[in-house]
Amino acid sequence: MSDYLEEYPIERNDIGNAGTIASLTKRELKKRGFSPQFIKRVTIGVYEAEINVVIHSYGGNARIHIGDDLCEITFCDRGPGIPNIENAMQAGFSTASPYAIENGFGAGMGLPNIKAVSDEMTLESNEEGTQLFMKFYTQQ
Amino acid sequence: MTTNDIANHETFTLINSVHDLTKTVNKLFASDLLSNVMGQTEENDCLITMLNNINVIGVASLNDLSCIVFTQGITVKKELIDKANELNIPLFTTTFSTVDAIIALAKLDGK
Repeated sequence: MSDYLEEYPIERNDIGNAGTIASLTKRELKKRGFSPQFIKRVTIGVYEAEINVVIHSYGGNARIHIGDDLCEITFCDRGPGIPNIENAMQAGFSTASPYAIENGFGAGMGLPNIKAVSDEMTLESNEEGTQLFMKFYTQQ
Repeated sequence: MTTNDIANHETFTLINSVHDLTKTVNKLFASDLLSNVMGQTEENDCLITMLNNINVIGVASLNDLSCIVFTQGITVKKELIDKANELNIPLFTTTFSTVDAIIALAKLDGK
């Protein structure tokens, strides 16, 4: 099967559609017959990253690349950036708005969850925007 | 314990139209934080929550949960019911608190 490569836009505060990219990614992974454990890891990573762009950024996009041996996922946004990545990586640390918290987000578990489920994770951020790279290897 | 057992329990009211109440509940999981639900639940778990927003249904679908129980007698929004109907996810309400709902469901499950 040929690689799957898609890009999706993400709108700021579009909580109603949050999770759509994770859902589409999961569907594609299931179609390709990956193990339930692998599908769950990737889906959690994509979901958490998607939510982060929705609730924390001015908007951005996701790039989903699924190959036979590797899934490469990239999320980019247009700012305002993460002031302190070290703090953001701590479980329970959150700068989410009251609006996000009212909707069940902002537990401060997004980035720690991503780190836990991914095989490789790189986070770069400045005022212009944040780029999150995740890799998931199909063979452990 | 199946979702049908929950539907037949006097404490819980099925509030949507689903065609499948045969799923066996894996474990009970209570939380009002979606990252927690997303990261910790497994297939066929039963989510117990007071979180009344559409993303609850999305997470339930993503993690293939067996059903959702809304506690404290909250009025579940129509958009959640419509989405759950579309995805065939049973939704239950109860006037019980989250803790009391867990106790009732655990007893129903013979624990």
